[in-house]
Amino acid sequence: MASWFPLALELGGSLAAVLGLAWTASRLQLGGDVRIRSEDAARELAEEAICGFDAVDVALDRAGIGALLRDGSGRVLLIRRHGARFAARLLDSHAGVRLDRSFLSVETSDSRFGVVTLDLGAQAQKWAGSFRRLVG
Amino acid sequence: MKAFDPVAFAIPLFVLLVFAEMLWARRNAPESYEPRDTLTSLMLGLGSTAAGAIVAGTVAIAATWLYEHRLLTVGHAWWVWVACFVLDDFNYYWAHRTGHRVRWFWASHVNHHSSQHYNLSTALRQSWTGFIALSFVFRIWPAFLGFDPVMIIAVGGLNLIYQFWIHTEAIRRLPRWFEAVMNTPSHHRVHHGVNPLYLDRNYAGVFIVWDRLFGTFTPERDEIPVTYGIVRQLGSFSLLWSVFHEWIAIARDVRSAPWRHKLSYLWRTPGWSHDGSRETSDAIRARWLERTGGAV
Repeated sequence: MASWFPLALELGGSLAAVLGLAWTASRLQLGGDVRIRSEDAARELAEEAICGFDAVDVALDRAGIGALLRDGSGRVLLIRRHGARFAARLLDSHAGVRLDRSFLSVETSDSRFGVVTLDLGAQAQKWAGSFRRLVG
Repeated sequence: MKAFDPVAFAIPLFVLLVFAEMLWARRNAPESYEPRDTLTSLMLGLGSTAAGAIVAGTVAIAATWLYEHRLLTVGHAWWVWVACFVLDDFNYYWAHRTGHRVRWFWASHVNHHSSQHYNLSTALRQSWTGFIALSFVFRIWPAFLGFDPVMIIAVGGLNLIYQFWIHTEAIRRLPRWFEAVMNTPSHHRVHHGVNPLYLDRNYAGVFIVWDRLFGTFTPERDEIPVTYGIVRQLGSFSLLWSVFHEWIAIARDVRSAPWRHKLSYLWRTPGWSHDGSRETSDAIRARWLERTGGAV
């Protein structure tokens, strides 16, 4: 028997187990459907993302999948859902901001973070305008 | 002495326990797992096994060379195995601490922390690039003292197996005597936390006494639930990005930094920057303590 065979068997078996477990997690509907339910919840997420981020203005996506927050020094934080958790990025430019009625699409300088489209309702226009204060 | 890697024998047990924890999670904490995160973590584990197999020969050659030039011959008595296990765990503590405090090593170890979940699949979220980071150097030097490399590899495997079961939220606290001496789910949850109080604490592998001894121990506080992950959460389930993102970030920093600061981006603490535009874990904790006094 070739010397690589046991290793190939171990890796092949492990791959099958990996796919089986990921499938099981999906079938068991683990992860759930997390949403940002309130401005206070958004503030907590902001504080978790950036220690000391004290939001003075908050805009929630109407479905609760993301939020925009501004602190006293004018920094704007974008929060979006990431699986069963949330991830955040500070905005450093208005270059990637697009307004389409109540929908605001925001792109950060981190291309891996992706474009996030938030339904902000009547607040969308106000927030889009406020981004002009960001450098870039 | 014939080579023996206990991890290969433990893999079926790992699979069974992850499955059992998923059943527990379904009933008690569905959000503690996320299928895409689980897939990424397990693929990182699989890739790590493959990467380990590729470089195992080189590591074995280095350890054997050290053993051939050993200072002593300590043999294979049972107490030598115990001594080797304790020494290896001590080495693990320092390798792990360095893995968090030196960016070059962090670039490899960050894989293990980039999940925002904490479950048994996170335990298998291991590095593909440990060999490039040369972190094995911390573990093989006892061969120069006279410990058989086969023994070092075996006790290293046992250390890894021990650490598997502590990656869970299903166990809250264990008896006080156990929590005092051993690394436990509670202690290790703290280690995976990005809460300012918990950042870069509890580096232990098996014995938490190293953290108590070297001043890096912080107990889990029930009023501060652990937020898992890394300071700047990845926000991506991409397998390759998970593996290489910090290496890429280092390359970008080194390329753009002034000449006199380039090397600092390799050996200084993660979060350090030459212009002070970023924060290290120490700076984040200090700012949090100043603001809150340690109270929630």
